[in-house]
Amino acid sequence: MSIATTVAHSAQLTKRSVRGRLRQPAALAPAFIFPLFFAALGSASFNRLARDPYFSENIASSFLDYAVAGAVVQGVLFGATSAAGDLATDIEQGFFERLLASPISRVSIVLGRLAASMVVGVSQVVVFISLFVAFGARVTSGAVGVIGLIVSGALLGLAMAGLMAAIAIKSGSPEVVQGSFPLVFVLLFLSSAFFPRHYMTGWYRTVADWNPMSHIVEGMQGFMNHELNVDQFVKAWLVPLGISIVGIAFALRSLNRRLAAS
Amino acid sequence: MSAVVETRRHDANARSLDVIVALVRRSLLRVRRLPSAFIPSLIMPVFQLVTFSGAFGAAVRFLGIDPMNWYMPLNAIQGASFGALGVSFGLLNDMETGFFDRVLMAPARRSIIVFGSYAAAIARSVVPVTFVILVSFLGGLHTPGGPVAIAMVIMASVMVALSACGLALGLTLRLRNLGAATLTQFAIFFGIFLSTSQVPLSEMSGWLQACARVNPMTNILRFARQGFLGDITWAQTWGGLVAMVALLAASTIFALTGLRRFER
Amino acid sequence: MTSSPIVAAQLVRHFGSGDDVVKAVDGVDLEVNAGEIFGLLGPNGAGKSTIVRVFTTLLKPTSGSARVAGFDVVRDADKVRRSIGVALQDAAIDPLMTGRELLNLQAVLYGLTKGAGRTRGDELLERVGLTAAAERRVGTYSGGMRRRLDLALSLVHEPTVLFLDEPTTGLDPMSRLTLWEEVRRLNKSGTTVLLTTQYLEEADQLADRIAIVDHGRIVRAGVPRDLKAQVGSPTLFIDVDQSHIESARSTLARFGELRPSAEGTLGVGLVRGAEDVALVVRALDAAGIKVRHLELNEPSLDDVFAEATGHRLEGAQ
Repeated sequence: MSIATTVAHSAQLTKRSVRGRLRQPAALAPAFIFPLFFAALGSASFNRLARDPYFSENIASSFLDYAVAGAVVQGVLFGATSAAGDLATDIEQGFFERLLASPISRVSIVLGRLAASMVVGVSQVVVFISLFVAFGARVTSGAVGVIGLIVSGALLGLAMAGLMAAIAIKSGSPEVVQGSFPLVFVLLFLSSAFFPRHYMTGWYRTVADWNPMSHIVEGMQGFMNHELNVDQFVKAWLVPLGISIVGIAFALRSLNRRLAAS
Repeated sequence: MSAVVETRRHDANARSLDVIVALVRRSLLRVRRLPSAFIPSLIMPVFQLVTFSGAFGAAVRFLGIDPMNWYMPLNAIQGASFGALGVSFGLLNDMETGFFDRVLMAPARRSIIVFGSYAAAIARSVVPVTFVILVSFLGGLHTPGGPVAIAMVIMASVMVALSACGLALGLTLRLRNLGAATLTQFAIFFGIFLSTSQVPLSEMSGWLQACARVNPMTNILRFARQGFLGDITWAQTWGGLVAMVALLAASTIFALTGLRRFER
Repeated sequence: MTSSPIVAAQLVRHFGSGDDVVKAVDGVDLEVNAGEIFGLLGPNGAGKSTIVRVFTTLLKPTSGSARVAGFDVVRDADKVRRSIGVALQDAAIDPLMTGRELLNLQAVLYGLTKGAGRTRGDELLERVGLTAAAERRVGTYSGGMRRRLDLALSLVHEPTVLFLDEPTTGLDPMSRLTLWEEVRRLNKSGTTVLLTTQYLEEADQLADRIAIVDHGRIVRAGVPRDLKAQVGSPTLFIDVDQSHIESARSTLARFGELRPSAEGTLGVGLVRGAEDVALVVRALDAAGIKVRHLELNEPSLDDVFAEATGHRLEGAQ
């Protein structure tokens, strides 16, 4: 099957996925409501931190500015998990089989879902930044920084969707996908998504230092709170891109195994 | 009628107690046989204890407060309130299978449905609360207020669990669908977090402080935390007692009126 | 005051209000004699289950009255519950519990002592043939086993009145026969049974008397044999080509009253039964109508239903 056909099929399935997400507002809400709530809670609770010289000189001018990146990352991760749940539901309810029985590009079945995650990720970043700016946050690096954030959100969505899609295809069960959601939560909390690493201590600090999520978040925080520099692009783009490649590889491998088994 | 059936207990109080015990046993049986439904309520509070004290600990350390001492009461209360969700799911499941009809048709007092669920919620909260307390001791918890401090945290956890259970029952009996469980989750979540969950009142800004001031959970947390932050005083106690009793009364009325509506 | 164990007078139960009101039970008068098996027969949505739910205190009447075992279902609901056993449409069980655990729980709910409950549980398990499966979780039971357990649960406290709501729906023929046997045995020991069903054969086989329910009302009531005799003559059903259906209709009308029949077929009541069949066939032949299939049926409860309501019970012919 030609690349053009694969792209065309993927585009169709992407449209289907996005439409499906929009028609389940109850499933979409947690990906928006909880991150915004936690950011609001954090900025109202931890603003004293902004008076600490280290914070204001090196991290951000306010806790709200700090919290934006964490909210974006949280929203994108929640959204990617839901998307994988939808894929597992397709498998469980037989729609996946229907697609396989049609002359559709096999790879597009997975790519469609992943691309939809990117689309949702982008919209989440746009919505979050708009809301936070309306409440007083500032993107220090300007328009390029905003683009940097958007691309980062898309890549992170792709990365998580790839990994979760692998789990979804392998298990074929929405419950298993939901069951892996706590791991996402753990990954987020043991990072600098909600609070600066600088203030953590002991083993917690060590884990946060090694957690790739810390670096992705800090790259995004760099776009928000500092002038542009290469380090931000490396952390916010290259790290999720690397994870995306691994995630997509796993997802496609799971797909091939499922096809071979049937 | 056979001699076997003739040996019924005619003491209504003794019978009500038997029914409550039987319903609690059943609830615990479900936990044992479907542990996957119970495990999140066990792990989540401990996870949050570790992450909140590890990630946000600096915010209270600035004020000279030990993070583990600050967060443990919050997470113990959270763990206990998850049991309430289990009650809601269990009742929904019973409505779906028709087993709830069987309970309704039994000649036991109707209020047993509510009080039996309360007893089950207490039983289900024992393990998460104990787990949180044990882990916090491992994490360096100390108790300036002595054993009374532990008793107060347990009391606060139980009272919040019962109130959450009453809310869950009232919603489930009215809505009869998963929306009830979702609403209960939201109510517990926002009730807990829009209080002094993260920092004291004096550290909060604007809208959050306004919410926390009127949120009964703030008084309950003050009640539960005091023994871990210093001495136990009446000034820090009475507000929590009033809040717990008021919440429990309101949620019990909500549950009982829900039961009455269900039968209409 | 009547001593009948089950009585309803002008019983009404509505759902909703205003333009959206659903009249599930619309003025039902009913009296079941002590010791009989009484059947409520009707299609899905006729109101049978709603009637049962009112009798078993799960629903309150909108108006009218209902009494069970001599007690009013609203004022003395608790006393009604003590006197009745109920097995509803869906086997009301907890799949995570074992059969024995459920029976023990039921015993506690009905106030039996621990020892008495255990003894009674053993008796009932033996009676419904579930002793071997007693320690297994109910979630692993077959449909027939669940129904039998459901029946056992409804008998824990030895009720004098038993309500069975579509007790054999979804069961295989063997399980159905087993359940019928159990119902007959219970009735012989003195239990009054009210059962609802959409199966003609079940009503015919089990019930001493039946009431036919349609759109929330009782349209016919009585002994099945007498009801069938009232319909009178046998019905001849014929299958003809669609292009001949109108001329076949007018031919048949000369021999008797046309009766409701399944789509694509015609039915006519023949007063002299089999004797008239030859005449009908000759008349159809003379009219050039080709008959694909014909069948002469003695009056059935479906005929009774059709005659009362103008349509047949679902799936019946």
